[in-house]
Amino acid sequence: MGFKVNFSKRQDERFYLPGQEIKISRSAMSRKSYMTESDNVLTCRQRTMFALLCFVLIYAVLCLRVSYVCLGHGINIDTAITTNEFADEDIIRFKNPVKRADILDRNGEIIATSLPTVNLYANTKQIKNTQDVAEKLNFIFPDVPYETFLAKLQKRGAFIYLKRNLSPAQQMQVNNLGIPGLEFENCEKRIYPHKNLFAHVLGNTNVDNEGISGVEKAMDERLTTSTKPLSLSLDLGIQNTIRDALIEGVKQFNAEGAAAILMEAKTGQVVALVSVPDFDPNENLKVEDRAMFNFATKGVYEAGSVFKVFNTALCLESGKVKVTDRFDTSHPVFFGKAKVTDPHGSHKMLTPEDILVESSNIGSTLEILKVGKKFQRRFLQSINMDKKLADFELPETAKPLFLSENRWSNHTMATISYGYGISTTPLHIVSAFAAVINGGMYHEPSLVYHKPHEGKRVVSEKTSENMRTLLRAVVTRGTGRRANVEGYQVMGKTGTADKLENGHYNHKKSISSFVSGFPESDPQYTLIVVMDDPKASKETFGYTTAGWNAVPITKNIISAVAPQLNVKADFDIDRQKSIVNAAYKR
Amino acid sequence: MRSIKTAMLVLWLTLTLSVALGSSVLKNKVQILERKRDAINLNIQKNMESIHVLKAEWSHYNTPERLRKLAYDQLSLENAKPEQIINYSALQFNYEDSQKTNNNKMNHKNLTTLVKAVKR
Repeated sequence: MGFKVNFSKRQDERFYLPGQEIKISRSAMSRKSYMTESDNVLTCRQRTMFALLCFVLIYAVLCLRVSYVCLGHGINIDTAITTNEFADEDIIRFKNPVKRADILDRNGEIIATSLPTVNLYANTKQIKNTQDVAEKLNFIFPDVPYETFLAKLQKRGAFIYLKRNLSPAQQMQVNNLGIPGLEFENCEKRIYPHKNLFAHVLGNTNVDNEGISGVEKAMDERLTTSTKPLSLSLDLGIQNTIRDALIEGVKQFNAEGAAAILMEAKTGQVVALVSVPDFDPNENLKVEDRAMFNFATKGVYEAGSVFKVFNTALCLESGKVKVTDRFDTSHPVFFGKAKVTDPHGSHKMLTPEDILVESSNIGSTLEILKVGKKFQRRFLQSINMDKKLADFELPETAKPLFLSENRWSNHTMATISYGYGISTTPLHIVSAFAAVINGGMYHEPSLVYHKPHEGKRVVSEKTSENMRTLLRAVVTRGTGRRANVEGYQVMGKTGTADKLENGHYNHKKSISSFVSGFPESDPQYTLIVVMDDPKASKETFGYTTAGWNAVPITKNIISAVAPQLNVKADFDIDRQKSIVNAAYKR
Repeated sequence: MRSIKTAMLVLWLTLTLSVALGSSVLKNKVQILERKRDAINLNIQKNMESIHVLKAEWSHYNTPERLRKLAYDQLSLENAKPEQIINYSALQFNYEDSQKTNNNKMNHKNLTTLVKAVKR
């Protein structure tokens, strides 16, 4: 009765859990009653063998691979390195010892670098005899008073700075003291090997090596995120020559200061930027405000007759004034009670060339009256006379004082034509002058070497060509005669304006400028020299106008830098031959 | 059956030992290379630091004032003046023509020497 199951002998020997022996699959019942024990064992064996085989195969593969690698047939490290199979971080596991990138000039000369140094700090909890330690430290660092060390050591703290930027010798001396609690912190110090030479361009860093002025501040992120050196468009030799000439000029004319900018006329790249007086950025001493002031980029002043360049250019560009036109300058021009006169006397009929050569205010006024204030305003805006040069890589730039449209009266239009009524910086003037002479393209000034530059057309090539001829005449027979460096076809325009002090013109003080370009046939460089309050002397016959100070300084600069800049001189060939002949005979 | 088991065991042990040995050798080689790499990296870092300091020192010694003074004191050189730089066209002779003349003279001289040698 009931369900009968026949167990074999072998099956009897096996142990089953209660109920396990009668577990019957109903679905399997239809095909086969259920699997016998002998089938299970066979399956188990087969599976074990299969698993074993898999393991053996895997091991065999591993074994072969390991043997292959161990026998030297794996990756050849030398080859892998040379063929760049590794990423840099796989091989190079060190950090550049210097965190702030160097600054180079256009020839790769270092003009700012950082040196690894150490700071000395104290963990005062570990220092017992503070007086003794202070005495010993004072012996090593005689520049720091004993009392200063003692006061610092008597403070309770685990990190108190005692002295920054130790020399290796000083570090060794402190180490030799063997005082527990005196520790060193690795750091770096910014060094300017050329001292004052690039002071106003490079600026300075604070004790934590963060840029606080100049390029150091403007390019701080670039200098700290990449250790690749930053190349500037400046030229060390040229900068030095110009600075020497300016210092000599300031001394000779007893001026308050001076500034000069030399720029590539066709790219806007600044080759030299000098403002004197200056300071040594290596010294953390307090310097006077005038020395900290970068007159070249931040000095906003009324440029005077230099503006006649832009006035003539815009008048010619408008088409309403031609180079052959003649203007009667024998009488003053009146705007209500105000009148425009010529300081050098009246000149009768003048062409635009004569107006520049004689620097006639009346002539400039008559020219602009033919053109109108709308065109004048638009032109000055196109050469950025109304805005700050925000893309220039110095934080010390200034916005020109540009009058609003409703204050732009006819009288204002006239005064602006000869350089009063708009205050601007030397950087603005030299950039705009480059556009006038280089074929008509305005390029934003830049300090970063080989920075891509896109120019915008502000005057036509024809106007630019005419302007070059007119400006050359200023140097050959006008107020710029003393800048006529033979062979380099210098062209330019002088400007002298009374200094504005507390809202009033001081007639005893002036700012004289000379903006120039060379050579006329293919303008490559533009230069501006500005003298702040030059004094009259016997040599200048009592004059303080630009022709007597800024112009001769410009001549000295061009004579010295043009050969260095490889500008092709165009001498009179007969004269050159006579020089060569003289040399051969000698 | 037993022989298969033994063979499998031997094979298994051999493979395990080979892998263990191989891994050990490999690890050892890698460790040696890593130590070498670290030493090289440290050396590079120290050299870089030294080079950096030397470059700063080189820059300090190459200030234009110092170079100008040295050039004047040691070589009696002064800054070039514009009139010292002249155009090629202002030169008294034509360099290329004179080179050709010189070459012709040399060729003629060589030919004469050769003829004399043949005659002998």
